[in-house]
Amino acid sequence: MTHRDPPAAGPLKLGIDAGAFVAAFTASPTPMVLTDPRLADNPIIWANDAFLALTGYAWEDLDGRNCRMLQGADTDPRAVRRLGEAVRAGRPIEIELVNYRKDGTSFWNGMTVAPVRDATGRIVHFYSAQADMTGKYRHEVAMRDANDELERRVAEQTADLRAALEQKTALLHEVDHRVKNNLQVISSLMLLKARRTPRGEVRDALQGMAERVGALSTVHRMLYSTGDVTRFDLREFAEDFVSELVAGIDNERTAVSAEIDSIAVSAAMAAPLALMLHELATNAVRHAFPDSRAGRITITAQRSDEGLRMLIQDDGIGLAGGKPNPAGFGRSLVEMVVRQLRGVIVWSDVAPGTRVEITVPLDAVSLRTGAERAAEAEWTTR
Amino acid sequence: MDDAMTSPALRVLVVEDEVLIALELECLLDELGHDVVGVAGSSAEAIALGLSTAPDVAFVDIHLVDGPTGVEVARALSADPHTTVVFMTANAKRIPDDFAGAMGVIAKPYSERVVAGALRYVADLRAGRAATIEGLDGFRLAIRDGVEPRYLSEG
Repeated sequence: MTHRDPPAAGPLKLGIDAGAFVAAFTASPTPMVLTDPRLADNPIIWANDAFLALTGYAWEDLDGRNCRMLQGADTDPRAVRRLGEAVRAGRPIEIELVNYRKDGTSFWNGMTVAPVRDATGRIVHFYSAQADMTGKYRHEVAMRDANDELERRVAEQTADLRAALEQKTALLHEVDHRVKNNLQVISSLMLLKARRTPRGEVRDALQGMAERVGALSTVHRMLYSTGDVTRFDLREFAEDFVSELVAGIDNERTAVSAEIDSIAVSAAMAAPLALMLHELATNAVRHAFPDSRAGRITITAQRSDEGLRMLIQDDGIGLAGGKPNPAGFGRSLVEMVVRQLRGVIVWSDVAPGTRVEITVPLDAVSLRTGAERAAEAEWTTR
Repeated sequence: MDDAMTSPALRVLVVEDEVLIALELECLLDELGHDVVGVAGSSAEAIALGLSTAPDVAFVDIHLVDGPTGVEVARALSADPHTTVVFMTANAKRIPDDFAGAMGVIAKPYSERVVAGALRYVADLRAGRAATIEGLDGFRLAIRDGVEPRYLSEG
């Protein structure tokens, strides 16, 4: 409706008179109020029963007063200002603000306020319909509170988890440090005892044990230095291991060459594999070339369909040519380790020399892809 | 060992609280033809011995009797430009970025070969010879002037 179309014209043509509107509005369940801006301070001149019920006031309390009587302490002054501006400008407005009932209780009043003009376009009334929005607001506040509570709990749990992770990481570092230190102590103990033991079988045995501990130590050093605590690279180990082996050979006649593919193996497999490689290679160095015999030892390791295939070969005196060793510790150690890894070992005389071929299946950890590993590293590295 | 013949003996201070490791290291250094000028288990002892003996090389563990004080020890000992400090630890993560003035770190558990190799490297540097760090995994040099740390196995 605009002032160009006088309000009552349409309905009147239909034969409905103004009295019918008054009756309808008075009986409406929607709270309604009418003010007169032509009078001082734009007072209330009419309100329906629903409005009286909503506000708790009697008609006598409202008659001739401005609607601001419903405002109170919690009413947002910005909303009041917007409402006032709209009224002064003669603009319709929809707004929600806190109002107070006669008994002092508050409610959210969602209202539309619109100017009513006469045939000349002059504003003669403001008409307002209300709705109690308290329920909606209560719901919103409850939702916000629930959200805040959820966020608080999530933040709390995240902090707890982070603290737990930090604790675990600190514990891992501590254990890692202790394992390494203890390996150093064990190795030192054996070497100290060896130094104080006369040359001979016992001394050799002690030194041999210290070397085995050394091979295990290398694995530990490499396992925890790379950041991935679950796997290690066999080639990296082999490079270090061959350097140690060559340094331990005090003659120029024995050559060692290694061709080890970069193969990731699980931590569980790392120590047995290292021990096995150490045993076979040192065995070859010690026993394949007696009496200043010159020779070559080759070590290879590749991924194959069956898993990991390793070959340790020398061109020495061969298995049959060696002195029979009743204890045979090295050989049974290797066989035990291969069994532990569920692998297969084949010893053969290749004339000249000995060839040892080992195939072990790779476990699930070793077979994980790079992507899976990267995803995991996200978790393990803080 | 051939390098013991060609290089002059280095005077070495061992800072290590684990008695067995210290004793074995002493034996090894002796075997390699170097002189152990002292063994310290605490930071106070280490710093005092550093002042009184002015060693050529100090091997410094991070964890000592009085806690993770090896870093402080390294800082104090490397204040003497005559002394080359090398960390020797299973706890390399505790070493600060500037290495507290140390030249590098030998990771525990170490092998005799790596200790010998590290000392040969130090001796070569001190004698102004070309020093190589090739083939020594487990010995890592400190980052200097923004240069990435080089692992000895990478040359």
